[in-house]
Amino acid sequence: MIDRWLSRAWDAITSLKLTIVLLALLMVLVVGCTLAQVEMGTFGAVKAFMRSFFVWWAVPGTGWEIAILPGGALVGLVLAVNLLAAQGRRLELSWKKSGLWIAHAGLILLIAGEFVSAVFQIDTRMAIEEGQTVNYVESPREMELVVKDVTDPRYDDVYGVSESLLSRGGTIPVPGTPLSLRVKAYLQNADLRMRGPQDPPGPATMGVGTGVLLAPLPPVTSDDDINRSAALVEPVAGGQSYGTWLVSNALGAPQSFIHEGRTYVLSMRSRRIYLPYSLTLKKFSHDVYAGTDIPKNFSSLVHLSNRSTGEERDVLIYMNQPLRYDGKTFYQASFGKGDTLSILQVVQNPGWLLPYVACALVTLGLVVHFAITMRRGPRRGAVLEA
Amino acid sequence: MKIARIAPWAAFGLALAASLLAVVPPRPAPFDLDAFGRLPVLEGGRVKPVDSVARNSLLMIRGTQSFAYGGRNLTADAWLLDVMFRPEVADQQPIFVIDDPDVLALAGLKQSSERRFSFARLAPYVAEIERQAHAAQPVDSRSRTRFQSAVLTLFDRLYLYFRLRNTAQPDGSRLAAEIQARSAPGAAERQRALAQLAYFRPVPPLAGQPADAWKNVGEALRAASPDPYLQGLARLGQSYAAADAAGFNRTAAELGAMVRDRLPAAVTQAGHEVLFNRSQPFYLGMVLYVLALLVLFASWLWWPDVLRSTAFGLLAAGAVVHTAGLVSRIVLQGRPPVTNLYSSAVFVGWVAVILGVVLERIYRRGFATGVAAASGFATLIVAHHLASDGDTMEMMRAVLDSNFWLATHVTTITIGYGATFLAGAIAIVWTLRNQLARTMDPGTTKALGSMTYGVICFALLFSFVGTVLGGIWADQSWGRFWGWDPKENGALLIVLWNAIILHARWGGYARERGIMAMAIFGNVITSLSWFGVNMLGVGLHSYGFMDKAFYALSAFVASQLLLVALALLPRRFWAGRAAREAGAGPGDAARAAASK
Repeated sequence: MIDRWLSRAWDAITSLKLTIVLLALLMVLVVGCTLAQVEMGTFGAVKAFMRSFFVWWAVPGTGWEIAILPGGALVGLVLAVNLLAAQGRRLELSWKKSGLWIAHAGLILLIAGEFVSAVFQIDTRMAIEEGQTVNYVESPREMELVVKDVTDPRYDDVYGVSESLLSRGGTIPVPGTPLSLRVKAYLQNADLRMRGPQDPPGPATMGVGTGVLLAPLPPVTSDDDINRSAALVEPVAGGQSYGTWLVSNALGAPQSFIHEGRTYVLSMRSRRIYLPYSLTLKKFSHDVYAGTDIPKNFSSLVHLSNRSTGEERDVLIYMNQPLRYDGKTFYQASFGKGDTLSILQVVQNPGWLLPYVACALVTLGLVVHFAITMRRGPRRGAVLEA
Repeated sequence: MKIARIAPWAAFGLALAASLLAVVPPRPAPFDLDAFGRLPVLEGGRVKPVDSVARNSLLMIRGTQSFAYGGRNLTADAWLLDVMFRPEVADQQPIFVIDDPDVLALAGLKQSSERRFSFARLAPYVAEIERQAHAAQPVDSRSRTRFQSAVLTLFDRLYLYFRLRNTAQPDGSRLAAEIQARSAPGAAERQRALAQLAYFRPVPPLAGQPADAWKNVGEALRAASPDPYLQGLARLGQSYAAADAAGFNRTAAELGAMVRDRLPAAVTQAGHEVLFNRSQPFYLGMVLYVLALLVLFASWLWWPDVLRSTAFGLLAAGAVVHTAGLVSRIVLQGRPPVTNLYSSAVFVGWVAVILGVVLERIYRRGFATGVAAASGFATLIVAHHLASDGDTMEMMRAVLDSNFWLATHVTTITIGYGATFLAGAIAIVWTLRNQLARTMDPGTTKALGSMTYGVICFALLFSFVGTVLGGIWADQSWGRFWGWDPKENGALLIVLWNAIILHARWGGYARERGIMAMAIFGNVITSLSWFGVNMLGVGLHSYGFMDKAFYALSAFVASQLLLVALALLPRRFWAGRAAREAGAGPGDAARAAASK
């Protein structure tokens, strides 16, 4: 009995029908993902359709969500299993089929590459103004709360508290200082509104936040928007409270308090990841074709300085010519401030080579297969009948 | 038999000889417009002959490259000369098309058989048209009303005309007079206006200046001592306005010599481009493809062998002309064949035609000739409509400025598009043949089947390789291999669909009829990923948004769905009795028996 079930399952998992169904499902998902981008933005649509195990649909008026389709991750996974299993079961190991073996191996690698990207790829960015030296990258989708000790005018001590810690709440000690932060609330995206004279008092008791009212918003999905995160924190030191502060990237004014003669500034900003090296923008160039405003090229001449390895060199980053360094790739992405600010996109993806290998394999496999089948056709006219 | 041997070569040779006639320069009568047309100018960031500016402008404004009015046959060059140097004449020429009744009403006009209006006729309403256009401008192009789109189009055309008119001399003045009075009071103001409005830059850089330092007339007028080239332009305008043909021809020759001294390469390049403009290879190709189709249709009625091979000869001639045009573009632009939507249409057609020629050489049944000629014709028509946006050899934006990737990724993926379309076209022939042919020999049926299969294999290979190369390019320039961008998704859909067809065939889930229906559906997917994603207006690839094409695309998709349904009709709905007998498989026999 169990044997029969097992063999049935094995039949199903290795069947060509399953392959076709999965490919068709993938087409449906791709179409859905494409159309949804108009509303949700690319990032949101990819998350909903491709980087998920199920595509959920919110039933209007009920608050329920039901899965209406398997998501890209599930389809990809099953497709990979199907491919592997079918390969082992149905495709004989022979020279005649060598092209298909190579092509399918490449496909498995391609799917694996997409999984690696989905899990491990880290997208950050670096904005540098001409003459400025920057030794960190920023993650525009994540925020961090920063406590900065600015007492010494020569340097600042900076302590960052990540989003995940903030959303857990509780009391967070700030390392290297006598301070602790009591997190009273954290909103990933919030609507901040000036408090009118009739409104009830806001949640904050200190700083500019006392004049502001807070309301939670769903996190943004569009690629062009960023969250306006807000946290209500109460710094505590030596048993003394410094009141409740509203900290948000939507608030421009700096907020500070003094404890035992040291000045601490509270702020919310894009999460920074510091690098063991720095880039200095020497020159940003943006040329247009004569007599038009069609961009001809963008390029950033940067100086790369790495103390630990003693590297000091100039690099020109321009379209189609990124800088690959330290497992990260720096691309010319954007610019601003009258062509004095250059924005580099920084991508870290340990699997970046996988698609290259996969593609070479699939292409080779298809060429070999079609060549073999063509050579087999003895009659003229049968050449393409394979 | 002998005639059948000679016929294709004769047709091929005659068609090519006729095509060569188009290259012969026109005789100067009485104005040497050709010499004027060859003068290089800078427009849209690239040096081109003034002939190209004239043709593209007239195409954008009037939708044609020449027209007849007031007993004159105006070429684009003659028209541009009128606009620049005899504006009072040009203002009377009816070149602005208005179809929208609301826009007509805006200009105080009623709908009548008259569709084209002159600038003079519209001049009193320009302010109102401009006001309406400015109101429509901020509306997203997808949600504009018909009136808003129409008024914007009209305004863009009027503005282009106005800029052309203010390129050589300001309104109500002559260039010669402007040079004379270049430091008189008020001149600086006029020069600034000219510099701002000028549509192109006709004054070449002096020796020693950088090669892209072309000046417009306003800028050139500011120089302390007037550039002799500018004075030449003034004389050219004077003699044209005074109908002094001898003076005009002499000045045009002088100007040509002057610019040859300064930038010899630009003159040679401009000359080649004029030749290309004049010969209109893609238009010629279109004509040859239609001829090939007509001859092929005739072959089904009379002298099958002779006419079929004649049709092939014509197709081959069309392919040669098409190839020549493609190669000229590559040489002129210094770029791989596909650089924008227009050139992708030209190239898709070329791929289909070349594959069709190869298939016809293998199978020799005439069907591949028909499919190739029809595909070539259809794609060149599409290209023709895409060309009305202006210069088809515009400069490449920074992101796209990479000959290596344009040559590999773009070319490969476009070959994939072309092959998928060709497979669909063969499947359409199969479908129509079932419906129309009285008798069907099984050999041809089998040949059509294997042609479709072979072309789909080819399409899968190229669309896959092209898609992946695109991923690699994206990894190089945007930092990710695959971003699920609409254009990438479109390419992926083609790959997936071709893969599904092939797996369904290998698994035996789809037989002849199913494969054919799926191949036709491939046309839908390819057309959507080719044009449809540009209409979504999202993603990094949305360089060319077009709304007018939306209806054309919808109609195409609907027609293809109809054909899919037709292909899926069971055999008993086919035309000839012979079909049922010749083609019926065991399954059909069993079903037929069961139904009795």
